Amino acid sequence: MKNKLWKLKTAALSLVLWGSQVVAATPVVEIKIQDHLFFPAVIEIPANTKVKLLINNLDPTAEEFESYELNREKVISGNRKAVVFVGPLPPGEYPFFGEFYPKTAQGKVVVVNP
Amino acid sequence: MFLNSVILILQEILEAALLISVLLVFSKRYGIKPHWLFVAISLGAIGALFFAINMADISEWFDYVGQEVVNALIQFSILFFLGIFTAFLPKNSFLPGESPDTLNKESTRHHQKNGWSIVWILLIVSLALTREGSEVFIYIGGVIGHPSHIQPTLTGAGIGVGIGLSAGVLIYYGLLGLPAKWIAPGGLVLLALVAGNMASQATLLLTQADWLPYSTILWDSSELLPENSILGHLLYALVGYEATPSLFQGISYICGMLLIFLCNLLRTTLLTQHKNPKTFKINTHS
Repeated sequence: MKNKLWKLKTAALSLVLWGSQVVAATPVVEIKIQDHLFFPAVIEIPANTKVKLLINNLDPTAEEFESYELNREKVISGNRKAVVFVGPLPPGEYPFFGEFYPKTAQGKVVVVNP
Repeated sequence: MFLNSVILILQEILEAALLISVLLVFSKRYGIKPHWLFVAISLGAIGALFFAINMADISEWFDYVGQEVVNALIQFSILFFLGIFTAFLPKNSFLPGESPDTLNKESTRHHQKNGWSIVWILLIVSLALTREGSEVFIYIGGVIGHPSHIQPTLTGAGIGVGIGLSAGVLIYYGLLGLPAKWIAPGGLVLLALVAGNMASQATLLLTQADWLPYSTILWDSSELLPENSILGHLLYALVGYEATPSLFQGISYICGMLLIFLCNLLRTTLLTQHKNPKTFKINTHS
C-alpha cells in the first residue's frame, strides 16, 4: 500500500515537472496596444512552435484582437492584459487587427524558419 | 466606424436570430407559447451586461485565459440544453393553422411537458444572448469614450440589428413556409447546425487558451471564400464557416450535430415505446 502511494506521488511529481517544462518551453511575445495601434505591429516567431502572445492594452477602451488567418478572437479590456496562444504554424504571414478599431489597429505575425 | 459597427453587431445578432427563429418555429409546431422570447431577451440582456462589466476580471482567471474558458463553458451548456430540449420535445405537433386549443383529453399532460420545454428554451436563449450580447455591450461601452464615434457607431449598430432581425424573420417564415412534413426535419437540421457551430467554437476557444492541443488544419478555403468577405461573414455567423478549421473543430462540429440527431432519435424511440401497449403502463385513474 505504502509502495503504491509512493509510486503515485512520484508519478504526480513527474507530471508536474513535465508540465512546468512544457510551460517554460513556450516562448512569450509581448505586444502593446496604445492609441489603437499595435506595438510592435510586426512580430516574428519561429515556425512549428507554439507561442504565447501577451497583449497589454494600455488604452482605456477595450479592443478585440482578431485574426482570420490565425483563427483567433479575444476581447481585451481597457488597461488590462490578455494571453492568446498561437501556433505551431508553417512559415508565412498572418495578419491580425483590432476589431473595434480596425482602421488603425493592424499588425501581422511573421512565421520564419528558425 | 459606421461599417465596422454594422458588421460587428450584425454578426452577433445573426447568430442569435437563427437560434431564436428555429426555436420559435419549434414552439409553434409543438404548441409552446412564444412568450418565452421576452423573458429570454430580458434575462439575456441582464446576463450580457453582468458578463460585460466583469469581463476584465473574468479574463484574468486561469492565467489570463478565463474569457475563453467561461465562453466555452457557456457554449457547452447551451449544447447540453439543446440536446435535452430536442429529446423531450412535446409529443403533439401542430400543422400550420392548428393550435393547442384544438387538443383532446391529453391537453393537461401536454401542457405539463411544455412547461419543461420552455425552461430549456429560456436557458438556451438567455445563455446564448449573454455570450453574444456581452461583446456588443463592451464594444458600445468602449465607443462612449470617444464622443465623435458615438453617432456612427450607434447608427451602424441600429442598422446591424435591423438587418439581423429581418434575417431572423426571413428564416422563421421560410421554415414555416416549407411543406408541413418538412418543417420539423428542416428545423432539426438548422438546430443541428447551430449545435455543431457551438461545439466547434468551444473547441477553438479551448485551443486558443492552450487547454486543448493544436490539431492539423483540415482545409484552406481562404482563397475560394475568404472569411472577411460578405458571404464569409454571413456563413460564419449562421453555420460557423471557417476558412482554415482544425481537425478538432471538425470533429466537434460533427459531434454537436450528432448530439441533436441522436437526441431526436431518443425522443422518437421513447414516444414509440409509449405507444406500444406491451410497454405502456395503464393508468387506471384516467
